[in-house]
Amino acid sequence: MASVQDRVIEVTTRVLQLDPSEVKPEHSFTSDLGAESVQSIELVAMFEEEFGIEMDEDAALAVTTVAAAANYIEGVCKQQGVEV
Amino acid sequence: MSVVDTRKTHPLIDTTEPNLLEDIFDYGLPPKIRFDGPLIEYIDGQPVEFDPNSAKQRDIFITDTTFRDGQQARPPYAVDQMVHLYDLLAKLGGPNGVIRQTEFFLYTKNDRETLDRCRELGHEFPECTGWIRAVKGDFRLVQEAGLKETGMLTSSSDYHIFNKLKFKSRQACMDSYCEVVDAAFEAGVRPRCHLEDVTRADWDGFVMPFVDRLMRMSEQVPDELSVKIRICDTMGFGLHYPGAELPRSVPKMIYKLNQECGVPSERLEWHGHNDFHRVHANGATAWLYGCDALNGTLFGFGERCGNPPVEGAIIEYISLKEDLCGIQTEVITEIADYMRSIDFPIPENYPLVGKHFNTTRAGIHAGGLRQDERIYNIFDTAKLLNRPPRVALTDKSGTDGVAHWVNEFFGLKGEDRISKIKCHKVARWVMDQYEVDGRITAISDEELEAKVQELMPQYWEKYATSASAR
Repeated sequence: MASVQDRVIEVTTRVLQLDPSEVKPEHSFTSDLGAESVQSIELVAMFEEEFGIEMDEDAALAVTTVAAAANYIEGVCKQQGVEV
Repeated sequence: MSVVDTRKTHPLIDTTEPNLLEDIFDYGLPPKIRFDGPLIEYIDGQPVEFDPNSAKQRDIFITDTTFRDGQQARPPYAVDQMVHLYDLLAKLGGPNGVIRQTEFFLYTKNDRETLDRCRELGHEFPECTGWIRAVKGDFRLVQEAGLKETGMLTSSSDYHIFNKLKFKSRQACMDSYCEVVDAAFEAGVRPRCHLEDVTRADWDGFVMPFVDRLMRMSEQVPDELSVKIRICDTMGFGLHYPGAELPRSVPKMIYKLNQECGVPSERLEWHGHNDFHRVHANGATAWLYGCDALNGTLFGFGERCGNPPVEGAIIEYISLKEDLCGIQTEVITEIADYMRSIDFPIPENYPLVGKHFNTTRAGIHAGGLRQDERIYNIFDTAKLLNRPPRVALTDKSGTDGVAHWVNEFFGLKGEDRISKIKCHKVARWVMDQYEVDGRITAISDEELEAKVQELMPQYWEKYATSASAR
């Protein structure tokens, strides 16, 4: 099964229409990957759908990098009893 | 020459608690108008102090001319329309008569029928008064209508005296006006002299001598007949700035009439026009300098660029008095809705009643509204005007704007509000309208409603019934 980070990268490439090779864990969604306002919201919505979780809006939007998103999502999955 | 250094240092007063200045910006009222000192005006070279706080204690009031000046600028209202508007004016002004009087033409059968039907409603306020030319023959109309007071045209500039009315001299003009005033006294009707074009008149040479004579004439009659003076800024030339000179200075005009000619404040009325965008400020200034009555029309509609807007004066009144004083502010919205229903156009950005007066389009503003409505709303417009703040969606609205619109549409508050995340499909549709389809217009409420139904079906199912019920 793919890791949380791999799944985050897969969702990110789909939403931002990028090639997987363009997305690195240390990349910022906005400054490196070019996510605009609506895309940031779409990313959060797609992460919720991918992992079957509900995220706090402000906390989720405060996450800046791919790696941080993976960490944050792992924590939420754990809290909400979702196996990853 | 030495230069006085007026600079001071201003250290930061740090705090972790916001100071929202709620004493002034009480969200449940229009922001209060406070003064921290006297107003100084140089009159004939001497400094004269005015206490602006006196307006808070004086019985200032609003008079209406929607059916006279307002109607001069449009096709005639139907009788039923005027009667309904009169009824709404009474409701708006409340039992204390903040809207004290309204004036009617007396020339046609419809004019008379309207007046009779308005009086049959039995409202104490606004009192119905008339409006006639300064012609003795017209006075018969006032007598027949049984009115206690009538306005009469007493034009005061030489543009009018010589070029319009063709008088041979100022003396002949003044004598003619005074004859009509005498006729009013004889009939037991209070004359209200409308000093037309007074902001373009010779004050020393005509205006003040005429008003002096009117005051002398008033001394010969009971108080209830004594002449009222309407100061008519016919062309909108009036200036509210301190230090402006006559004949354009609002402060100096009020002072001269009030203090030098001895016209009491309660018998002074300001009537403005908006040719230079000064109409409301000039009217409110008249209140501050000692004129009790501010004459206006609903939504400022009147000759050319219009008159002081009555609804603006209402809000100014509350701001000065720091109390609703019996005014039913939500009737402003009711009147605007009625005016639209009879094809009276109100611009979308018109203060207090325009479709978008409290609508924000910028996403960052919508974000502010989401956090605290007060950030981008002038006062509690839902409570005072039945108009909660809205967000209109464009490419600048962002997801905050979309979420605000959705929550307002469903009427959701607090914990029940739907997050931006759940609105992402609608937000994407909005952005694509502009970025993909090249749209250049705002998105209508109807379009959004359809999209919410299509893209947020689970919420539609849950909340649409309550939305349609509102």
